[in-house]
Amino acid sequence: MLLIPGLILSVIFLVLPLAIMVVVSLYTTAPSSTGYLPIFTVENYIAFFTSPQTSVLLFNTFSLAFIAAITCFIFGFPLAYFLTFHIKSATFKNYVITLLIVPFLIDWSIRTVAWIAILGKGGIINFSLMSLGLIKEPLEALLFSRNTLYIIWLQTYVVFMEFPIYLAMNRIDPDLISAAKVLKAPPLRVVYDIVFRLSLPGIMAGFIFVFVSTLGDFITPNLWAGGVQTLGFSISRYAANFLWPYASVLSTMLLIIALVIMYVAFKVVNIKKLFYE
Amino acid sequence: MKPKEVGIRVYVAALILLVYSPIVVMIVLSFNTSGRISFPMEGLTARWYNGVPTGYEYASYISAFYDWKFWIAFRNTVYVAVTAAILTLIIVTSVAMVLRHRIIGRDPLFYLILLGFVLPGVALGLGNNILFRMMNWEFTWWTAAILDTVYAVPFGLILMMARFDPDLVLYERAASVLRASPWVVFRKVTFPLIRWEVVAAGVFGFVLAWGELIRTSFVMRGTGVISTYISTELAINPVTPKWYAVGAIVTGISIVALIILGWVLSRGQR
Repeated sequence: MLLIPGLILSVIFLVLPLAIMVVVSLYTTAPSSTGYLPIFTVENYIAFFTSPQTSVLLFNTFSLAFIAAITCFIFGFPLAYFLTFHIKSATFKNYVITLLIVPFLIDWSIRTVAWIAILGKGGIINFSLMSLGLIKEPLEALLFSRNTLYIIWLQTYVVFMEFPIYLAMNRIDPDLISAAKVLKAPPLRVVYDIVFRLSLPGIMAGFIFVFVSTLGDFITPNLWAGGVQTLGFSISRYAANFLWPYASVLSTMLLIIALVIMYVAFKVVNIKKLFYE
Repeated sequence: MKPKEVGIRVYVAALILLVYSPIVVMIVLSFNTSGRISFPMEGLTARWYNGVPTGYEYASYISAFYDWKFWIAFRNTVYVAVTAAILTLIIVTSVAMVLRHRIIGRDPLFYLILLGFVLPGVALGLGNNILFRMMNWEFTWWTAAILDTVYAVPFGLILMMARFDPDLVLYERAASVLRASPWVVFRKVTFPLIRWEVVAAGVFGFVLAWGELIRTSFVMRGTGVISTYISTELAINPVTPKWYAVGAIVTGISIVALIILGWVLSRGQR
């Protein structure tokens, strides 16, 4: 009984659309009112696997997402560590967490244009560097490169990394750390052997969260990556041109690869331990 | 303080600074006299907020208060966010009530719900677009609200599950042993103990729906909600401080919602 609303939502608006999308990816493209005819064909998949663009798309998409996840880990892990072991007051902790959720909640379109003011030609970084006399001409490469993308994604998604790690660290028994310190373990070994290894489920969950979020984000790379083609952007472009079957093929492939990666990750680390039990 | 302590504090402060830099710079530049997004600023003005338009400007030069298209998008966004908040709150609470027991099929169910968050947004947007056109369902603001709910429910659920009181089940059992009906148990025992988590789930639904674009862009066009309105306009119009003024207004409202969330979370702390 209690499950009915949740199941309706998940089945009709989550499973069903994806199933239909997979079906449409096998349909024939045709100039009909829907853009396709219900005649099954594997031509779209053949086109996908033989296209020279495919390997570039896959490499770009997954390397960007992977590096974004690593970046978020490098910044998110110390943040979670600080929150767990350095802040004593619970109220203060909640305020810091809330403060960190803010970046995720600025409107999407607004966040993307706000970066012009920081990294753009007349942005605050170029302005400061020029007034300090460090550079003569504004740097163009600040905006529109892969590095720009990593910075923007770090700002957007670091909370996805930080929050699960924080949850995992909260379950570490503080006595373990005191014991290690009493036994004169070097500080780095305490961090690695106890904090890092025991928060591994959180790290894995955070990694997956950032990874799939950046996989599904086609707007930010399109705007700021300086012409780097990604799967997500191709999907939106084919969809905008009413080539639904091919857009569905790309989307299905993205989905399959994401699911495989998640399956492997969740096999290695029991992520649900983080949330219940 | 040891040097290591100072180091980690500086690191965290730098990260928070990075996270806030777009908001701060955006608010500052929304008062720029010049129509360009660049430093140094020429002077301060509020005209991007309340300048009276002559009626012949492009969207990028109409001040935020007088841009009626923005306010239509704003109204739609409020509808979407409030609907998503209510749906998220109901679904999260009902699912969490079931998932905290060791029932058969708990794990598949948990993963099913989690999929709404971990599947790439672009795939969900495309799939729902195809579904809606196939069924001849109209794309309205409630379409976006439902997509945002799919996205927000896992967040709310994770939050609620992580904060459940381990003794809650014992209190409930005590009440039902004393012959309280399930509804009375929920109303008198369970709900008072989790009410702040319930509210937090609703606030999550609200804030996630408030600025979502990836999924929404597949099911809403043109003026639609604030995020689709801005991205549609900026595809053809230059970026001027007007958009930063719009951004400042929208961000201000998100921050108020977040302060409420922070307050709610600290209220529920045990």
